Amino acid sequence: MSGALSRRRLLTGGAGIAAAVGLSGCAGGSDPRGRTVLGFLGSEAAATFQPVIDGFERANPGIAVAYTTVPADQLNDVLQLRLSAADSAIDVYTVDQPRVPALSARGFLTDLDPVAGRARDAVLPEQFEISSWEGRLRSLPIWTSTQYLFCNVDMLRKAGAEVPAADPAERWTWEQTLGAGRRAQERAGASAALLLEQTDLYYGIQPLVASLEAGSGITGPDMLTPDIRNDGWVRAMTWYHDLFANGLSPRGIESTQLVTLFTDGKAPFFVGGPWNLGAFAGLDAFQWRAVPQPYFADGVPATPTDSWSWGVNPAAAHPDAARRFVEYASLTTKGNLSTVRKTPLIPSNTAAFTSYVERLDTEATASTENAGTIMRHELEHTAVGRPRSIGYTQFETVMGAAFSDIRNGSEPEARLRRASAELERTWDRLR
Amino acid sequence: MSHSPARPRSAGPRALRRHGPAVLAAAIGILFALPLLWVFSGSLRDTDEIFAGLDRISWTTLVPADPTLDNYATLLSGDFGIAVANSVLVSAVTVAAGLVMSAMAAFGLSAIPFRGRGAVFAVVVLSFLIPFDAIAIPLSAVFRDWSLQNTYLGLILPGIGNGLAIFLIRQFFLAVPKELVEAARLDGLGWWGVFWRIYVPLSRPVLIGAGMTLFLFQWQAYVWPLLIGTEPAKQLGPIALGNLQGQLVPDYGAIFAGSVVLIAIPLIVILRLQRYFVQSVSTSGLK
Amino acid sequence: MARTHAPPAPAPTAAAPRALPLRRRPAVIALGFLAPALLMLVVLRLWPAAQALYGSLLHTSLLEGTTTWVGLDNYAVLFTDPDFWQSVGVTLVFNLVINPGQVLIALGLAVLFAKRFAGARLWRSLVLIPVAVPPAVSAVIWGVLYRPEGPLNALLAVFGLPAQPYLTSPAQALGAMIVMMSWVGVGYWMMFLLAGLQDIPADLYEAAKIDGASAWRRFVHVTLPQLRRPLAFVLVADTISNFLVFAPVQLLTSGGPEGATKLMMFDIFHRAYSVGDLHLALAEVMILVLVTLVIVSVQFRLLHSRED
Repeated sequence: MSGALSRRRLLTGGAGIAAAVGLSGCAGGSDPRGRTVLGFLGSEAAATFQPVIDGFERANPGIAVAYTTVPADQLNDVLQLRLSAADSAIDVYTVDQPRVPALSARGFLTDLDPVAGRARDAVLPEQFEISSWEGRLRSLPIWTSTQYLFCNVDMLRKAGAEVPAADPAERWTWEQTLGAGRRAQERAGASAALLLEQTDLYYGIQPLVASLEAGSGITGPDMLTPDIRNDGWVRAMTWYHDLFANGLSPRGIESTQLVTLFTDGKAPFFVGGPWNLGAFAGLDAFQWRAVPQPYFADGVPATPTDSWSWGVNPAAAHPDAARRFVEYASLTTKGNLSTVRKTPLIPSNTAAFTSYVERLDTEATASTENAGTIMRHELEHTAVGRPRSIGYTQFETVMGAAFSDIRNGSEPEARLRRASAELERTWDRLR
Repeated sequence: MSHSPARPRSAGPRALRRHGPAVLAAAIGILFALPLLWVFSGSLRDTDEIFAGLDRISWTTLVPADPTLDNYATLLSGDFGIAVANSVLVSAVTVAAGLVMSAMAAFGLSAIPFRGRGAVFAVVVLSFLIPFDAIAIPLSAVFRDWSLQNTYLGLILPGIGNGLAIFLIRQFFLAVPKELVEAARLDGLGWWGVFWRIYVPLSRPVLIGAGMTLFLFQWQAYVWPLLIGTEPAKQLGPIALGNLQGQLVPDYGAIFAGSVVLIAIPLIVILRLQRYFVQSVSTSGLK
Repeated sequence: MARTHAPPAPAPTAAAPRALPLRRRPAVIALGFLAPALLMLVVLRLWPAAQALYGSLLHTSLLEGTTTWVGLDNYAVLFTDPDFWQSVGVTLVFNLVINPGQVLIALGLAVLFAKRFAGARLWRSLVLIPVAVPPAVSAVIWGVLYRPEGPLNALLAVFGLPAQPYLTSPAQALGAMIVMMSWVGVGYWMMFLLAGLQDIPADLYEAAKIDGASAWRRFVHVTLPQLRRPLAFVLVADTISNFLVFAPVQLLTSGGPEGATKLMMFDIFHRAYSVGDLHLALAEVMILVLVTLVIVSVQFRLLHSRED
């Protein structure tokens, strides 16, 4: 091939690229039909949000929503970076509720106080609170959450162990649960006694500490002082340490892969979120049941809660349309219900919540009998929210590493001491 | 390297000498490929079955008892196909533009003698050694200022400047006999002619090697596309793969199927090109 | 570094005057060829690096919501932070082991695959495939292999060996990472050495053989010296890529257990995003860049003194 020919070829190629780039440069404002295109960023699968987007577009013919998924692990990093660069391509984004204070402090959330009155009437009270910061509404809640103890009924029966009841009044203790789990390991071939879906995550660990009434771990007037070395914390962490050290729960398995041990019939108990009600629906290899999450015998029942809100980027290209979208998804019953059609999470909107729980009850199978009742009971009586601090992000990260080390065998008290020192250093930098 | 059979001393060692390398190579090759065979078989299973029975190894670990193409169907129903096409486009343009630029730079640093060449070489290579990942944060702000977010150009540009490619090509160019250049110059060929007509045709193996470096960098790009932000229509393969992970219940079946696709494409490229790449310089007519 | 004052690009063949004296203004012509690369270098590396340097001298208070100039304070904070020093230590140990290890294995593989035997190309390709595996996928694969109740320990049990804790143990986690990353990388580096081996003229070996040199002596006195350039490339390129390892750490261990796998690049991302202290992260970036540059310069110097 001659040099001249290939040079020409190269130039044509270059022109083609330039054209493609030019064409693409204008995306992001409006679509070919002249609609305003809202940029919406989150980490759920696109299918989860398709119903709410469809519903909103039907109700607002002039607006289209372009949803971009960011892998879950990267969502916070990407948001941090793009929001601090005042990226106008993001109009609406999903907000992990305990991060509302930090995002507000960084100026990443539009003040939604003008709709605070309507919001207060429409959503669950604790969901209104967690979406606000310093007395102003900063985001609108979409989902809340809780946890269940899922049990393999067949395995427990085979082991000659009792099966826990679904009634919150007869809630089991962790001691009882591990007793039955051990029996299943000895007599029914279980490889683990108990699995925790949210291994190493504060969300999953906080109820252990809260059951011993040992505080959230953060204290002080500005909520930037660690308090993770008290007796309750050490006791809860020692229990967590022993769970893995004594072979009751397996080490070295990704938390997202843990659930397969339960579905594979290798473990009698699995503590997990309500989405598993949907994920286990097709599970017919054994009989399973969802019952209330256990607590420590000398403590109080405690369950995790909170989930996601949606916020409006202050640098949004279309702030009004963005607010309309968020209001539709949170404040209207229909809109909020459509966010849980594909993935069973718990709606934050009060009317949507009621209708959702009723549907859970009417569509209940033998496995999910009382799932609605338990949900309502936990959210009303045992739910413990995560601490509200602008330092929550750092707290979650530092504690996550500590939980992971303790699971792998680090001495709990020493490891908590180290985490406490690291938190002090890190929070000092926020001042 | 030719190997005339050594003078045999006994039958045993001779058999070992003849078949030893082949047996060893086969063992090593299989060892490297086994984990990927597991991924491939996982892509043909239900998600629930992928992680079942890993504590006891048997042939069923690698061969699905009940293969299904459902996972690939799941992929097709989403945006994954578009993402793979985007990745191919972005990688191809990166390789083409990156090779031209790197080869030109390598030529300037090896064929043309000038004072301070060593210093310029050091500056070029060392600057490109500033870790891209480390400066990606400030760079993404620069790109956003220039409205390069959400464009193919924004995805391609960072992959073009690759110090290793320049370095690699220069190492090769240094081996081109100077007499060849002098002769061509005396024949009236300009520097561009020397570069384009002599150096480039001679260096097909190393250009393929450098092209592979550029390709693999861009094919696996993950952090950068996230940082500058891409709309769904311009999403790249690895990001689409990451998105399959989902927030609550990851679909490992689809993830494995997506991986098989993302591995297969570079594999085809490597298989087709490695023959040229390891081709000796002597057979390409240099010596 | 400012833009170069090179005249517009290399003159095309036709425009070049006939019988141009060979060494007329060679620097200008060379810079013409270098211009696109230099432009990229300024835009893609030096300018953002300068911004990173500037950013490393600032501090943002989240409580006050202000950003102020703090000079070298961020560096001082790092130097008194035990986590930073642990990360430096892990990075150095990791590189001291993995770089010579990978280069030696790649060399061994190259020598093996340079021989002619049936199926050479197929087996060689298999060694090469892991390079193409997305990091997220190799993390899933090795996460499963390294499970304490996983396939590797099942294999050890077949030989009557005790189970190992792998990634769950501070003593083994870094080694386990090194094995995994070598699985990914050695095939790639092997390719460059293999290409180099093919370039060695066969008559050199013939001559050595006639002199009665043993296989080992031929390797030391013919192969290694002839392989100098590709080896230099592989060593430097491998070192750089290993100083910047990030994804496998994030995906497999998040730096644990007990910080045993907290490589600097991971520490930087951890500080920049999870902790949200961008300025401190940028200070660590500057330190990492400096360390990498120093080590690569030393490697260059050592290799250069033996070159030409």
